Amino acid sequence: MNTMTEAQLSELEQDLNAIRDEVVADLGERDARYIRRIVRLHRTLEVGGRAMMPFGFIPPVFVAATVALGLSKIIENMEIGHNVMHGQYDWMNDPSLHSQSYEWDTVCTGDSWRRTHNYEHHTYTNIIGKDRDYGYALLRLSNDDEWKPRHSLQFINYILLSVFFQWGVGLHELESERIRRGEIRLRDKLPFLMDFFRKGGRQAFKDYLFFPLITFPVAPIVLAGNVSANLIRNLWSSTVIFCGHFTQDAETFTGAECDGESKGHWYLRQLTGSSNFTGGKWVHLLSGHLSYQVEHHVFPDLPAHRYPEISAQVQAVCQKHGIPYNTGSFARQYGTVLKRIFAFSLPDRVRSKVPALSMGQAT
Amino acid sequence: MLARHNQSKALQWLGKQLFNREDPAAFFDPLLERINPMWVQEYTPARVEQVLQETSDTRTFVLKPARRWQGFEAGQHVNICVEVDGTRRNRTFSLSSSPILWQKQGLITLTIKRLPGGRVTNWLHDHLDVGSVLGLGEAFGDFTVPEPAAPVLFIAGGSGITPVLSQLETMAAQDYRAPVTLLYYVRTSEDVIAREKLEALTARHPALTLTIIATHDGTAPRYLSDADLGTVPGLNARQVFLCGPKGLMDLAGELLQSRGVRERDIHCTFFSVPQANIEDQPLGGQVRFAQSDLEVGSEGDANLLEIAEAAGLTPRYGCRMGICHQCSCRKTSGTVINRLTGQKSGPGEENVQLCISVPQGPVSIDV
Repeated sequence: MNTMTEAQLSELEQDLNAIRDEVVADLGERDARYIRRIVRLHRTLEVGGRAMMPFGFIPPVFVAATVALGLSKIIENMEIGHNVMHGQYDWMNDPSLHSQSYEWDTVCTGDSWRRTHNYEHHTYTNIIGKDRDYGYALLRLSNDDEWKPRHSLQFINYILLSVFFQWGVGLHELESERIRRGEIRLRDKLPFLMDFFRKGGRQAFKDYLFFPLITFPVAPIVLAGNVSANLIRNLWSSTVIFCGHFTQDAETFTGAECDGESKGHWYLRQLTGSSNFTGGKWVHLLSGHLSYQVEHHVFPDLPAHRYPEISAQVQAVCQKHGIPYNTGSFARQYGTVLKRIFAFSLPDRVRSKVPALSMGQAT
Repeated sequence: MLARHNQSKALQWLGKQLFNREDPAAFFDPLLERINPMWVQEYTPARVEQVLQETSDTRTFVLKPARRWQGFEAGQHVNICVEVDGTRRNRTFSLSSSPILWQKQGLITLTIKRLPGGRVTNWLHDHLDVGSVLGLGEAFGDFTVPEPAAPVLFIAGGSGITPVLSQLETMAAQDYRAPVTLLYYVRTSEDVIAREKLEALTARHPALTLTIIATHDGTAPRYLSDADLGTVPGLNARQVFLCGPKGLMDLAGELLQSRGVRERDIHCTFFSVPQANIEDQPLGGQVRFAQSDLEVGSEGDANLLEIAEAAGLTPRYGCRMGICHQCSCRKTSGTVINRLTGQKSGPGEENVQLCISVPQGPVSIDV
C-alpha cells in the first residue's frame, strides 16, 4: 500500500514532528491540572462506589454504586493507567504518575503491559505476525492468517474475550499460541505466570473476597456489584480497543515491508493502521482518548487530552500527503469491527463472493 | 524519595492488595489535598508561616512541617519539592534556623537566594507566600557542630552562610566553650544575609569572632587571602567548615592546605547550579550507575542507554527512539540533554528516558 517515496516520508516525518514539538514546548500546568482533576474524579468515584455498595439492598443505590465503581475502573484504566504508563506524564516528575512504576486496577501487570503494549504493539502496529494485539492471537481479522474451521465460530471467542477482557489482557504475554505450536515452552513463561497469578489474585481478592467479606451480612450484594462493575469495564474497554485497529479501513502490514523502516514510514503505518471514532467529551474521557487512536498512535507519549486539540493539524497533514484519516461515528466504526470479525470467520472463497464483506488489508 | 512509611507489615500488605501501590496511604492524597494540604501522606508537607526579606535577592521562609517530620541537627540540609509549571522539582537547601526553634515552636527556616536563571529559586521567591505548602524530605548531611567542642573556623560565602547561621545559633544556645571564628565573604555590604542576627550572636556569645569581608566594595576585588587565615589564632587545631560558591571553596582549600591544615579537619558543603550555557559546554561526562555501583566516562553525543550497554549493563529498553518509555529511569543528580528536544534537564532528581538523554557533565542514574 505504500506508494510514498522516501523523500515524501521524510517530509511527513517533519510535518508530524512539528506538531509534536509544538505540544511538547507547551506542556505545563494545564496538563498537570487536567490529570490531577481526573485522578481526583477517579478517587471520588471509587471511594463513593465502595462506600455505597453495602447499601445496595436498596435497588437505586445498587445501580449508583455499581455504575460509580464501573466508571472509576474505566477512568483509572483508560484515561489514567494506560496514558500514564505510556509516559505521557513522566515530565511531571511525580512518582505517582510515572510510567515505569505505575500499577493499574486490572489483572494485567504494569510490567507485562509495558512490554506487550507500549513496546510490541506500538512499535510493530498492525504488522501481522509481529503485533500480537492484532486479533490477540485468538481472532482471524485479515487474510494474512490462513482460514481454519475453528475460525467459523470466532464470534463466540470475541464475546468471551470481551466479557473476560481483563483476564485475557492479563494472559496476553503467555503467548499460548506459540506454546501450542511448540515454539516456546510453558516453562519459559513461569516468571510471567507467577506475576500473573500474583496480580490476578490481588484483583480477585480485593473485589470478590475482601470487600464482600468486610460487609458480611450483605456480602452477596457487594460481590454482585463488584462483578458487575468489572464486567462494565471489560465490555467497554474491549469495545473501545477493538475500534482502534480492527475497523473496515484500518490497514495491516507485512514484516517485510517494515524491515529497517524510517521514522516516516513508522508514522505512515500508525496513521493508516489506526481508526478514530467521534463522540462527546465524556465518550473521549471514558475511552482514555483512544477515540483519537490515530493521534495516540502517532504521538503515544503526548498527554491524551491534547489529541482533540491537535486532531485538525494531523488531518491537515494527512490531507496534504493524500493519506486516509479513518474516522466515523462510534456506531459506524464498531459496526465495521463486528463485520470484520464475521467476514474473516468465513473462508476466503466464501467471503470474496460477498462484496459487502471486503476489508482493508495488507497487499 | 520524600516519603516515610512506618505502618505495620500486615497493613502495608493489605494496602498493596487494595490499592496496587507501595504507599497505599498516598492513594487518598488527591482527595486529602483538597481538604487540607497538610494531610498529604506521600511527602511531609510544610506550610509557609512567614516570609522575611533578608537582602534584595535573599529571603527567609519560615516553615511549619507536619508533626511527623523527624527534626534535624544544626548544619544539615533538606530536600524540598515544589511544582513549577506542572513539573515537580526537587532541590536541596540548608536549614538556617537552630533545632531549638523546631523543638520549641515546630518551626524551621530556609534562607534562599535567587540564582540568576535558577528555575526553582526564582519560583520560590515569586510564588511561595504565607499559606503555601511544599514537600519536605528528612534532614541529612554531616556538616554539623563538632562534639565534644573543638575550636572552629567557618569560611562562608554569600548564601553559603545559611547552615552556619544554624550552627552559630546552636553553639550560642549551648554555650559552646571553644573559640569560633567566622570569615564571611559577600559581594558588597548590601549582600550580607542576617547581619543583625550575626551581630546579636557575636554580642551574646563571647567565644565568637565575626569578620565580614565585602569582596567588591573597593575598586579592586578583595578575595580570601592567606593574610585572612593569618588572623585566625590556632588555625591548625581548628575544625574548618567551608560553605559557599565553588571559587571560594577551591581557593580556601588551597590556602588551608598550604598552611598545613589536615584534610580530615576540613568539612565542605556547597550548592551551585551549572551555568545555563549549552553551546559552550561539551557533551559527555562521567556517568555513575548507582545500583550497579559502576562509573564510566563518555564523550560526544552517546546517550545514557548506549553508555550503560557499553559498560556491560542491560537496562530495560524498547524502541530506542524515545517513543515507548521502556527505558525511563530515575536520574538522581546531574544534567542531561534531551536529544529530541535539545532541552536541558535540571540538576536534581527526576525521570529521564535513557535512549534520548545525553549526559552533560557528571550524571548519576539509578540503574
